[in-house]
Amino acid sequence: MIVAKGVGKSFGGERILSGVDLTFHEGEVVGIVGPGGVGKSLLMKILCGLVEPDEGEVTVFGRSWADLSVTERAKLRERFGMLFQNYALFDFMTVGENVAFPLVQRGDMSAQDVQERVVERLTQVELSGVNHLYSRELSGGMKKRVALARATIGEAPIIIYDDPTAGLDPVTSSKIFNLISDLQRPDSLSLITSHDIERMMPVCQRYIMLYQGGVYFRGTAQEAKQSQDPVLRVFFGGDAVDVGRRTMAGAEGIS
Amino acid sequence: MGLLLSRQHQRSALLRAFALLSQTFLWLGRGSLRRRRQQFIEQLFEMGNRSVLFITVTLGTLGMISVFQVLIQVDRILPEYSVVGPAFLLTMVREFAPTIAGLMIATRVGSGIAAEIGSMVVTEQVDALRMCNAEPVDYLVAPRFAACLIQTVLLTMYGGVVSVVAGGLVANLVWGIPYEVFFRVDNITYSDFLAGFLKCVAYGIAIPIAAAQAGLETEGGSEGVGTATTRAVVNASFCVVVLDFILSGFAFFFLFD
Repeated sequence: MIVAKGVGKSFGGERILSGVDLTFHEGEVVGIVGPGGVGKSLLMKILCGLVEPDEGEVTVFGRSWADLSVTERAKLRERFGMLFQNYALFDFMTVGENVAFPLVQRGDMSAQDVQERVVERLTQVELSGVNHLYSRELSGGMKKRVALARATIGEAPIIIYDDPTAGLDPVTSSKIFNLISDLQRPDSLSLITSHDIERMMPVCQRYIMLYQGGVYFRGTAQEAKQSQDPVLRVFFGGDAVDVGRRTMAGAEGIS
Repeated sequence: MGLLLSRQHQRSALLRAFALLSQTFLWLGRGSLRRRRQQFIEQLFEMGNRSVLFITVTLGTLGMISVFQVLIQVDRILPEYSVVGPAFLLTMVREFAPTIAGLMIATRVGSGIAAEIGSMVVTEQVDALRMCNAEPVDYLVAPRFAACLIQTVLLTMYGGVVSVVAGGLVANLVWGIPYEVFFRVDNITYSDFLAGFLKCVAYGIAIPIAAAQAGLETEGGSEGVGTATTRAVVNASFCVVVLDFILSGFAFFFLFD
């Protein structure tokens, strides 16, 4: 479905990603993990054609972003659904209009059908009756659920969830991952970036770990947990607290 | 080298502005306003409503001060007040009404456009539009461009009237010049109106493009929105001054007798 070959990207002279090779298939749910600022969100934006890589290429359904015209790119992006890290809800639209927007833009459904689908999807994310509200009137968790409804309403074959639980409490985070799991269709590809490995576990089948600008690990959570690699153990094995303590102790000169 | 880079940057910024302008015309030609009628009307109302008091105060004050200062000088040099009104009207129509109103609109409306679009960029709303196959130029720039163009012409005409009336009041109430002497319009020709109108249209095109470009090129967080807003006001004001110079020259050689 998506193939990335030798993807690299720099910003302001700083190399963020380098030589990233990845392949994603239909029906997969893949977790993209790594430390903050490693380029997870950037990689997601490169995969969906919002950002052009400095080197390498990304093909989606066998078509390279680089070879497409502006109109063809816009058309191909219709085959993606995306939940943005900062919600990215349109503040000049109501919740109902936000959720309906991908369907309205696609233009292949009647207004009545769109409304029915919006009500159905908002009910699924436990937000029925808020259609008329604006995003500024919602809590962080509600905004994430609206964004989730908007990302999935088009039933696109590829859905990207960019840090879907950032800034949310543990209960709401669990709810969001449960919803992602419920909304997952067997023929779609889902890519999830998050730091919340524990809650990702029941949802993701395999993981890609980005570290120091490249792909550091690819495999299942089980493989990562069994690894003796200290970096993998920090992320997957629950050693984060110990490593943190050791780092602090080192910095303070405590043996 | 620094100067060279700076010039190259300015040139590429100018090219990007022309690219944005041509894309905006393209989307307008493809019926952007028909699809975004609601947004267009909202912008029209918002820009006019947001600027009308500002334009009234600034151009009214400018009219009063200009007439007052000119009459002081005329009183010293040749106490012949009858020339002041017609000269003031001519200057307002050709030059000051469009240019001062243009600068005010660049400040008021230009900053608003840049801040709105800039905050949508940093909150990823522009990316979300792209992901839904909605082109930001079609969705955000075209309605604002059309609304700003129309409102620049209307606000300039309104501002010009306010300024002239305010100047006439000062001339009559402070210096005792009769209204029929001050408001003599017999030496204003269609060419003068055309020169003023061309400036309104040129500013109405340049201001939203400079502001939208600054908004779309916003980087970073809220600090970036602040920088983009400042850049929008500076660039739009700069465009007004440069276009004034070019169009005044054009009018001098091709329109005026």
